[in-house]
Amino acid sequence: MVLTSKKYAALIALVAVLVSLAAWFADPIWRVMAIVVVASSVWFVATRYGVAKQHQETPPDPLAGCRAELGALIDELGDASQVQSRSSLGELDQVKSLLQEAVNKLVADFNEMNHHGQAQRELALSIVTGMTEVDSHGESVDFADFVRDTSKTMESFVDNTVATSKIAMGLVETMDTINHEVAAMLGILAEIESIAKQTNLLALNAAIEAARAGEAGRGFAVVADEVRNLSQRTNQFSHEIRAHMDQVDSSLGRAHESIYAVASMDMNFALQSKQRVQSTMSRLEGINVTMADAARGIDAHAAQVSAKVNAAVTSLQFQDLSSQLIGHAQLRLEALGTGVHGVARAFAESTDMMAAMALARVRVAALSNLDNTHFNPIKQDSLSSGDIELF
Amino acid sequence: MAKVVLTVDDSASIRQMVAFTLKSAGYEVVEAVDGEDGLNKARGKNADLVLTDQNMPKMDGLSLIKTLRGLPQYRSTPILMLTTESSDAMKAAGKASGATGWLVKPFDPQKLLEVVKKVLG
Repeated sequence: MVLTSKKYAALIALVAVLVSLAAWFADPIWRVMAIVVVASSVWFVATRYGVAKQHQETPPDPLAGCRAELGALIDELGDASQVQSRSSLGELDQVKSLLQEAVNKLVADFNEMNHHGQAQRELALSIVTGMTEVDSHGESVDFADFVRDTSKTMESFVDNTVATSKIAMGLVETMDTINHEVAAMLGILAEIESIAKQTNLLALNAAIEAARAGEAGRGFAVVADEVRNLSQRTNQFSHEIRAHMDQVDSSLGRAHESIYAVASMDMNFALQSKQRVQSTMSRLEGINVTMADAARGIDAHAAQVSAKVNAAVTSLQFQDLSSQLIGHAQLRLEALGTGVHGVARAFAESTDMMAAMALARVRVAALSNLDNTHFNPIKQDSLSSGDIELF
Repeated sequence: MAKVVLTVDDSASIRQMVAFTLKSAGYEVVEAVDGEDGLNKARGKNADLVLTDQNMPKMDGLSLIKTLRGLPQYRSTPILMLTTESSDAMKAAGKASGATGWLVKPFDPQKLLEVVKKVLG
């Protein structure tokens, strides 16, 4: 453009000089005209040249230098953006895999916790049900029943012991009575013995009197003899009875001693044992109730742990949501990197500015339209559990 | 015999959580890493229930459901979608492809068990 106007100015100046030279040699009027023409031509050329010079001062050459530098810069920007976006993608992949590993381990740990919680619940329940277990005969072996049975057995044992003691005391009295009776019988025996002795003496006297009477007393002597025999036999029986009665007496004495020993035994030990067993049993009953309560408490806590593990499992799904969000952000980042790089390459490589601009516009439009082509799958903004719909 | 549940998800942790929840309730769980794997495993073992994610590589959940519904043994098997997708349009697409129900992540293990129990009758 500048060159064309230069040529144009030179051509006009040449024509003007030729016309003024021809006019110089013509009439003075023409000479004046020639001067005017030359002057105006010089003015015109001067003005054109000035404009051209001005055009040249908005310099084409420094502009070209800047453009080259700008091109290189844009190119570098494109490369840098691609490098950064690739590094970011790599780092986000790393975040995803770290999250995945951590959450997998956490889920496995929670799984274990839940198993242990279940085992704990089963143990707690077995403690509770163990207290009301059914034995091989189909009878309930309730711990409280056991305590009651033991108490009852102990009570009847103590009652029997006391009753035995009472009976023994009664027996001691009876034995005393028997002893008195035996003593009385022995007294009677002594009386019999003395009667027998006297009878014997009387018989002896009668025999003497009979002998003195001679023939007349012969019959009486026989009777007296028989009476003497009877008295001797009576005495003999009386002795035998006494011997037996003595044995009875000594046996009764030993029995009396034994029964007395039983009767005089201290019954306090039995009563104290009964009280001790009763207090031990009520303590055991208390422990039993506390244990059952504790077992129920353990069961309730284990159930709470299970519920919390469930809540934790819900929360741990943040990893799935986050990974999908990171994936989508990576998509954006990749699009941004390749977009910027593509625009930069378009400007750096193209000689046709208009074509480069058109290419860049397409890339920018694609970038702006990303949300319509790649939907974000995550709408959740909290970790509360999602809706359930059955069709 | 324990009922067999096929869980299809590209996220290992979700598969693990689903398996842990269902196994603790006595179900047998088969895991598949994407739709294609899910289809192969569904063919190999007759599952009583299929639980699938939507967004997965190779084959997505909706395509898996459509394909499974084409197989005679899966014509009436309950198939539940377990996904982060919660839009009505997606749910409608799920219903149209033959899904039995739609569960939005994150899932509550207790509620998942209730739904599984319900659809397995």
